[in-house]
Amino acid sequence: MKVLEEDDMSDKWIYWLEELGKEDNERVGRKCANLGEITKAGLPVPKGFCLSVSAYGMFMKLTGAAGEIARLLEIHKPAVDDVEGIRTLSRAMRQAVESKPLPPEMADTLLSYYSQLCDRVCTPDVAVSTRSAGAVSHPGQYETYLNVKGKDDLIGKVRKVWASTFNERSLAFCINKGLTLGNEPIGVAVLTMVQARSAGIAFSADPNTGDTSKIIVEANWGLGESVVSGELMPDRWVIDKETLEIRERTLGRKDKATVCLDCGIEDAEISPEKACSFCLSDEELQEIAKLANRLEAHFGLPQDIEWAVAEDKLFPNIVLLQTRAVVIAKQAPVDQVLDLMVGMLSFR
Amino acid sequence: MLHDAYDLSFFEFDDEKDPKEYGVLLCDVVHGRPPMKPTYIGIGWYWYYHAIRKAADDLRLPTTFGWDSRFVQGYPYITAIRTTPDEAKMREPVFREKIRPFLENFDGVWDPLKAELIAIYNEAKASRGLKEWKDIRKLSDGELLTFFLDFVYVINRKEAETHFIMLMASFYIVGLLQEMWRSLFGGEPSIDPNFHKLMSGFENQDMKMGRMMWELGRKAVELGLEDTFRNTEDNALIDKLNTTEAGKTWNSLYHEFLLEHGWRSDRAHSYDSPVWLEKPSIGLSRIKLLMHAPLFKFDVERIRVIKDREEAEKEVLARVPEVQRPAFGLLVKAAQKSGYWSEDHGYFCDCYVGAMGRWIIQEFGRRFAQAGSIDDAEDVYFLHPNEIRKAAIPLGRVNLRPYVERRKKVWEENMKIEPIPFFGDISQAQDIVRSDPTLLVSTQVPVVRKELKADLYGAACAPGSFQGTARVIMSVDKISELKPGEILVAPGTSTAWMVVFGIIKGLVTDGGGALSHPVIMAREFGIPCVSGTVEATQKIRTGDKIWVDGNRGVVFIMDK
Repeated sequence: MKVLEEDDMSDKWIYWLEELGKEDNERVGRKCANLGEITKAGLPVPKGFCLSVSAYGMFMKLTGAAGEIARLLEIHKPAVDDVEGIRTLSRAMRQAVESKPLPPEMADTLLSYYSQLCDRVCTPDVAVSTRSAGAVSHPGQYETYLNVKGKDDLIGKVRKVWASTFNERSLAFCINKGLTLGNEPIGVAVLTMVQARSAGIAFSADPNTGDTSKIIVEANWGLGESVVSGELMPDRWVIDKETLEIRERTLGRKDKATVCLDCGIEDAEISPEKACSFCLSDEELQEIAKLANRLEAHFGLPQDIEWAVAEDKLFPNIVLLQTRAVVIAKQAPVDQVLDLMVGMLSFR
Repeated sequence: MLHDAYDLSFFEFDDEKDPKEYGVLLCDVVHGRPPMKPTYIGIGWYWYYHAIRKAADDLRLPTTFGWDSRFVQGYPYITAIRTTPDEAKMREPVFREKIRPFLENFDGVWDPLKAELIAIYNEAKASRGLKEWKDIRKLSDGELLTFFLDFVYVINRKEAETHFIMLMASFYIVGLLQEMWRSLFGGEPSIDPNFHKLMSGFENQDMKMGRMMWELGRKAVELGLEDTFRNTEDNALIDKLNTTEAGKTWNSLYHEFLLEHGWRSDRAHSYDSPVWLEKPSIGLSRIKLLMHAPLFKFDVERIRVIKDREEAEKEVLARVPEVQRPAFGLLVKAAQKSGYWSEDHGYFCDCYVGAMGRWIIQEFGRRFAQAGSIDDAEDVYFLHPNEIRKAAIPLGRVNLRPYVERRKKVWEENMKIEPIPFFGDISQAQDIVRSDPTLLVSTQVPVVRKELKADLYGAACAPGSFQGTARVIMSVDKISELKPGEILVAPGTSTAWMVVFGIIKGLVTDGGGALSHPVIMAREFGIPCVSGTVEATQKIRTGDKIWVDGNRGVVFIMDK
């Protein structure tokens, strides 16, 4: 308890989105900081709060998980190509984190924020998503849990997000790069779930060519997870950044969609009619493009965005779930020029 | 209905099927005015339309199989043969690999092709023991025929294929730069002085020609021949010079120059206009225009133009987002080479091969007339290659008049008409031009900006502003009317107009895209230029006081 007071509890470790801004990157992770920034800027973001990076450290220390992890690392030192060794280590480490109950003081604070959130949206046991947020962006490396409902589920899923820093992907990544394992504490964003009719991503610059004149949107029915995971071919549009004119539209191969169950999510088959029709209207596309432009103007850099169309709201019902700077593929200049040249001919 | 094109199959126009199949066919008045004669269409034009398709195929241009051409009333109509989206997708990967060397090392592609062309021209002459223009008369009828067939089926074809693979690649590169310019900076590159500065300051073959002619002019002054030049008609000048030692010295220098560089005429591939080596007085009028300048204007301007270019490069690159900067820089370099090539190729491609064609065909005209196959040597330009072959050996047995008379009558009628601007659905022109950036760069629509209240709107092709007296000149044989310091107003200029750039203070043209001759030359000479105005030669009269604003691409007529 002494440790707690001296180190961490003096600091606040949980924040409403509107209390955060982009300068809080180190404190809460990039995803949370950017969501806070755009909430303050008046852009549509679901209500929610964030657990800071120090909450992760505090949990690990108070529960003794940190010590256990250290001991595991002394015993296991898997090589880069030792898939089985990495798997065993990962399982043990995650078990060490997930099995620890949340210290009561932390649980009280977390649950009090959750109750306030339920009150703010007038929904008891409101469904939320729990999303990882590193200070350095590692897209897709850690886990996100959707449609989390009620206090117990929330506490469980927060611990699972924390534990995901020890998933096989991150362990392999760290071993590969020669980094110290378990050295990257993360923040957690807790956002109310959007009942998404359609969702997806948008880029305000072409990540392959760096072309800044167009906005690229990809989407599927249901939650955005099916688009982000890259497992199917979503619908795709190219929109002129200036005139918002839709330059190209390509129907995807959408045989599945991610949908909410009572609790949690699943990938479900979709009807042939839905699979054969575009999942966004032109009006919605233009609204997404406008938001992409506002985000780019706000941050001064092309943005890579996750968004959803809220089924239970009236137009303009686009909600932003994430934004970050577009990472442009490192391509040889001549290949960039070739891409642009083919793009100029606009037959795709 | 199928419209006959001087009996030339391939070029007949089907007024039902063609517009349906192609969408729209546009009249090419740049090359087609005055209406072309059958030898031009049957040889030069024939290979160009083969070469455009071959280049599109070799490069697998994704959206076009090349151009097609039809003739109506002697005027050429052009259009692109579009690919389907599926075909485009299939062609794309190969296109990337084929166009890559042009982006990475443009000169590495062009230099060997250029060397090969020069070797072919030289070999064609050397193997027949030909050097002087008059040497062609030494060939027997059979030798002349073989030379003709080599010219038509080997030399001209090779020239055309080289010409168009380079042209297609160049225009794709410049087309992309213009497109990128629009998306990065928002404005039309054609009215952005920085775009033109970026493309300037490269010495091309025409410039070298100009400098040599200026040097010849200075040599004449040095030899004390200035008065002889001033007081003698162009046609009598060579003979007059031969009466003095100094004159003889100059004549031999000029002759050496012509043997190497005099393979050019005012209209390449038409074969009916004289070549400089054949008629040295054409060059004399131009040397006269240049000889009074103590310095060659391009050399004076050059340092400034290069400095401007380097500054523009810095300024423009700084405005490009960092991620795109290396790609943009690479594209600018390739586009600069393309612009330079665009001027160079006139000398190495059109001029030389056109002059060689005239050499042979004109000689056949002379022999046919002498042998009684035709009435007049000039009638030979109404024949097809196979008819020339038919009558060549034994000479004098075939009466060619029935071929000539009919076509000549039609041609004379065609001379009197104004061509119909297009056939088909003009609203499709934009799509067609989009499918083939080659067409996009070679056509330019004036950017009308009413707020400037100008009399003419065009492209700001070469920066600077000048107020002065206009001289409207409709064809290159009239350029000696120009007085130093005037503003030239012309339909367009070809490489034959080169010398005017040494003496004019401003230039306004009806046609001309970013890679067209007047635009490139005006930039290099630092002369304010507005091009692509469409109607300058109709609105401006000689003697008008006009203001050429090359910074904004507009012209004001001041004393209307």
